[in-house]
Amino acid sequence: MSAVSSWVSETLVRDATERRIFATLGLITVLLVVGVLTGVIGPRFLLFQIALVGMYALLSLGLNVQWGYAGLINFSVAAFWGIGAYCAALLTAPNSPLGLGLHPVFGFLAAIVVSAFVAVLIGIPTLRLREDYLAIASLGLAEVIRAIILNEDQWTAGSSGISGIPELLSWLPLTDAATTAAVVVVLIAVVYLFLRRVHRSPWGRVLRTIRSDEDLAKALGKNTYQFKMQAFVIGSVIMAVAGAFYAHLNLYIDPSDLVPLTTFYIWIAVILGGTGSNRGAVVGAAVVIAIREGTRFLNDIGFIQTLGVDLAPLRLLFVGGLIILIMRFRQDGLLPPKDELIWPAARDGGGAGGASASGAAPDGGTASNGGDDR
Amino acid sequence: MIPLQVSPFQYVANGVVFSSIIVLAAIGLSLVYSIADFANFAHGDLMTVGAFSALFSVGFLRPMLGDAGVFGLPLWFFLALAFGMGAAAVISVITDRVVYQPVKGSDSIGLLISSIGVALVYRALVFLSFGTEPERYGVPRQGPIPWVRETLGIAVTPRNLVVVMLTVVLVTALHLTLTRTTLGRKMRATADNADLARVSGIRTREVIFAMWLIGGALAAAGGVFLGLEELVRPRMGFDILLIIFAAVILGGIGSVYGAMLGGLVIGMVHELVPLFNQWGIIPVGSRYAAAVAFVIMVAILLVRPSGIAGDSG
Repeated sequence: MSAVSSWVSETLVRDATERRIFATLGLITVLLVVGVLTGVIGPRFLLFQIALVGMYALLSLGLNVQWGYAGLINFSVAAFWGIGAYCAALLTAPNSPLGLGLHPVFGFLAAIVVSAFVAVLIGIPTLRLREDYLAIASLGLAEVIRAIILNEDQWTAGSSGISGIPELLSWLPLTDAATTAAVVVVLIAVVYLFLRRVHRSPWGRVLRTIRSDEDLAKALGKNTYQFKMQAFVIGSVIMAVAGAFYAHLNLYIDPSDLVPLTTFYIWIAVILGGTGSNRGAVVGAAVVIAIREGTRFLNDIGFIQTLGVDLAPLRLLFVGGLIILIMRFRQDGLLPPKDELIWPAARDGGGAGGASASGAAPDGGTASNGGDDR
Repeated sequence: MIPLQVSPFQYVANGVVFSSIIVLAAIGLSLVYSIADFANFAHGDLMTVGAFSALFSVGFLRPMLGDAGVFGLPLWFFLALAFGMGAAAVISVITDRVVYQPVKGSDSIGLLISSIGVALVYRALVFLSFGTEPERYGVPRQGPIPWVRETLGIAVTPRNLVVVMLTVVLVTALHLTLTRTTLGRKMRATADNADLARVSGIRTREVIFAMWLIGGALAAAGGVFLGLEELVRPRMGFDILLIIFAAVILGGIGSVYGAMLGGLVIGMVHELVPLFNQWGIIPVGSRYAAAVAFVIMVAILLVRPSGIAGDSG
């Protein structure tokens, strides 16, 4: 037990703000559990929301690799998400225009390959240039991909969408909602641990250097273009995996979710959570889902219906205002990265703490000097 | 199916009209890019705000002025255009004071992300005040000018001519401002090197103020013309933003004259896509006109990232 509590105090609650944020999150979790136990919230609904939060968390982790680690402005999150979702839907749904009905594994593989290919294609002209070129080009890419999916209905079923996507792992002895929630938790855990590992590696430190001062990284002899390309591809692939997962969660996909607003939701999740912080990305994703679903619930309240206000524009106003306010007042976000780059062993002075004995890594000794290059 | 016999010159004529709209929008975007030094993603929605402000003013201008007209368009339309330009100019100055100035400490990336928030807020406000349905200014429908049709075989309406002529007037006025006035010289100096300009005693605050006024007014003019040619829609500005960026990048980021040239080329290509498709040069039709503009932009980034007119990048 003491190992658990020391892990919590070292990784989750290191100062008053973080303690307050995690206390709030804990309170919300308790309320949700109480809600399920008393029957106010259906467990199926809650599991679906958890899966949705998980998908947003994956997207945020993907964007965090690009924007948080390397400072790449990607405005085509929705497009890479859509590529993943459509790869999964087209290959696995029996009644898709391709009509293949393959195993979901092939959908995920295709999502990874296609998204990596598209990411390289858009990275080649833009990543050598100033960072805002990527912002413009990626917004264009998103619109082009949406136009292709909408117009080429002989391949993508256009605006009518694809239904009949199979569920994941239906042989598991769980309800379908519980299975998808379990899948997304595993996906997040894998991605999170992978990103933590690469972020602490020399590769991660070069990326952080590029973000704060690209000329410095160049002067140190790093091929910054290659590093940025790798970060861009990794992030895009994670987004496509999230999309493929969504296809199997929602069992239906159409192009209406590929709009730029989806991209900006993920941007809010990342900058609200704390640019460069993976914990923040996950928390930010939960907050964004709370905003989206919360405003949807407002529609069901009788009083607001009598006002006759359409809530979609209000949500847009709220999202826009939130971006402006974060950029003005709290650019660091809720959970800014602190010493994520430092191996626990190095922080404790050579592995004195019991919890971090297993954290000593081959390059642990050299990692400690990369901690605060922001 | 009756095969449509459309003269190639018809596409060129459409291209000139569409180019005018893109040129007006691209100038403002380029000014902000060169002087305030960030990619303003709210510029498209600023066009929308201008177009809807003009629509709002039509509500009281039309009963006041009746249907007396000049150049084949009712007089109230020209006043509504002026109202829209003024409103967008004021709104963009206010936005700068309320949103962009306070983030000034941060880099151009912080401003870029803030401008996304501004774009969403603009669009939400348009939705809330005017609803989601497309609107029209209610300018009476006009046929093509008969003598143009007889001599050249193409359909050009008086409103097409007004759009192009007013664009020429506005662009000429801007050119004279930039080259002949003290304010214009200050603006060019600030765009070139803001620190040097400040050291030389130029009040850059004034320059930035003027930049937002001019950029906002020109964006609104583009928005009103787009609404006149097509429909006044809440998403019209954002949908066209990519094409405007393509024009600015083609011309060379930060170069106002490059933006004019880039706007002309991109606007023309956008309208010539169906013609190129007929001739078999490109395999896609007008549904992909924006995608073609995007491909041109990417090609420019690969070959000559500084654009046609830019030399410093």
